[in-house]
Amino acid sequence: MNKLAVKMERQARGVHHFNIEHRDDMTVLDVLEEIYRNHDASVAYRFSCRIGLCATCMMMINGKPGLSCMKRAEPGCDGTMSLAPFLKGNTIRDLVKEV
Amino acid sequence: MNEIKTDILIIGSGAAGLTAGVYAAQLHKKVLVIDKGAVGKSGSTVGAVQMAGLGEWSNPLDDERAYMRDIENSGRGLSDPALAKTLVNDISKRIEDLTSWGLKLDRDKSDQAAVYPTAGHSLPRSISARKGKTGLGILQTLIRKAKTLSENLHTWSDVITLDLVKSSTRVIGAVVFDLKKNKPYVIKAKAVILATGGIGQLYPTTSNPVQSTGDGYSLGLGAGASLIDMEQVQFYPVSLVTPRSVAGLCISFYHYSNLYNTFGERFMETYEPETLENTTRDKLSIAIASEVVAGRGSDHGGVWLDISSQLEKVKKEFLHEFNICMDRGIDLTHGYAEVGPAAHFMMGGVHIDVNTASSVPGLYVAGETAGGLHGGNRLGNNALTECLVFGAKAGINAAWESNNYEDQSTVTAEALSPFATKLLDTMSRSVSGSVKSYQIKQRIQEILGTHVAVLRTDEGLKQAAKQLEAVDDLLDQVEMSTEVNYSRELIDYVEGAHMLRTAKAIVGAALHRKESRGAHFNSDHPSPASNIYHTFVTKENEQVVIHTSPKGEK
Repeated sequence: MNKLAVKMERQARGVHHFNIEHRDDMTVLDVLEEIYRNHDASVAYRFSCRIGLCATCMMMINGKPGLSCMKRAEPGCDGTMSLAPFLKGNTIRDLVKEV
Repeated sequence: MNEIKTDILIIGSGAAGLTAGVYAAQLHKKVLVIDKGAVGKSGSTVGAVQMAGLGEWSNPLDDERAYMRDIENSGRGLSDPALAKTLVNDISKRIEDLTSWGLKLDRDKSDQAAVYPTAGHSLPRSISARKGKTGLGILQTLIRKAKTLSENLHTWSDVITLDLVKSSTRVIGAVVFDLKKNKPYVIKAKAVILATGGIGQLYPTTSNPVQSTGDGYSLGLGAGASLIDMEQVQFYPVSLVTPRSVAGLCISFYHYSNLYNTFGERFMETYEPETLENTTRDKLSIAIASEVVAGRGSDHGGVWLDISSQLEKVKKEFLHEFNICMDRGIDLTHGYAEVGPAAHFMMGGVHIDVNTASSVPGLYVAGETAGGLHGGNRLGNNALTECLVFGAKAGINAAWESNNYEDQSTVTAEALSPFATKLLDTMSRSVSGSVKSYQIKQRIQEILGTHVAVLRTDEGLKQAAKQLEAVDDLLDQVEMSTEVNYSRELIDYVEGAHMLRTAKAIVGAALHRKESRGAHFNSDHPSPASNIYHTFVTKENEQVVIHTSPKGEK
């Protein structure tokens, strides 16, 4: 199975790197679930409907805003998929915005 | 513990919770709406496509009697006629209120409100807003209205409810945990409204959002309320089974489709020769599951959907679903989609009267968390309808009740339930154990998915009951760090505990329905019994207790 390199901006905790098992049909949300379950249980992210309607999973994906449930997981230009909190508003922790 | 006071506490902020909040705040009560996720953006309402109802736009042949007859026929004898009557009588007023607050109904070519047919309704009576994102449109309208009432109506996101709090016989509030601050609170209220939605996440594949973990049934049980017909779990018959990222997505346009088994047979010709695929959800789910069990299913345990002859209609009415399918590699224009039943809706729930009052003073319940309206099968597009009608009833009646109730006592630690005390204890310190909290949820999903899905057997249900008992031990073996705020581990732990109480209620009720009726199909008792009865679940000393009663009695 392929590996996907992921880097996540976690405010005070700095940038964390993960190397996860990658399947072709994975969304960014699937990657986050994989990290939570098998790499780092402290990772914080928000989601609800999983079908692109509630928009609570909005975050920066490879430098652009996107819904993690709708966006296919793929590396950015530097070969790593980068995740960061959405730019607007207060960040509660990791990728979770205040609503 | 920190204490917060309000007149009315509403748990859940979907269509039912927000509607309750708006109507209560209009009666000048102090209202607090809480949600374990983002207020107005969690729960099943977001994904609701259309809404059934009556209004000036109705088909001339349609009226309250026709609508009520359809609900009763669909309910297989288990629908509560008093609740159904309230629904059909009130819905036109509720839709008028919403449109007066700014909701714009989708229009047809002649600029009239567009009215669509739906399986099981004898006449077209479904409307939509925001081009089929009706639930979203309703939520946005309610949030806008709530903002005009902000003097009385407050909302609080990211706060999860552990258990309700009682003073002798009455519900007087809830003990909650603020995920942002990592801190518990007691919220004291003169009346509490449960509007926490459904149970989809108790199953491995579901159309429901991640928050649908059955919290409200568990909270109701904990407070001493009675749950009715919890075995009646609706599976949405035609949902995607693969790929995993969209498994459970409802194919809301299946009434336009042809379904085939893996031998290319249009099997509904055998099960329902007259209506074919355009039948009610209970019958279609049972037919599909029977094909799969008989070895005529697809590789991933589903059947094949062909919609190629109706593409224009689908794109017009269900564009969002169409686009998701195309995006995930399911080409509806040429190929087939692999589809099957996914957990969708709890038709049982907390037993209420027409005013949404439970049997426990101070506790009201609205929306999917309440039981009895739909009986053995909910008609398509009646979920939002229920939320609007009974959300308003709950808000108004809780407001009236709060006029007559005054209590200034402080909640002491001793007043908290053993369930809440145990959760709080575990959440107050990091614990080391052998099980992660998400694995507790996964285990419950496996058990219900294997033994308590569309087709059930006596032996399977007994197995499920036994296996669920063992999940109690898993809760005690959980490993969890509670040092960070907004901890997913902690959310999964509390949800796992609620899922377990609710799962036991579902299995207990299913074991007591010794017949097949509505969504409950038991291969050992494949026919309906001659007498109609309800199952009731209550809790005594943390154990679920089940009894049955003939329809019309408690």
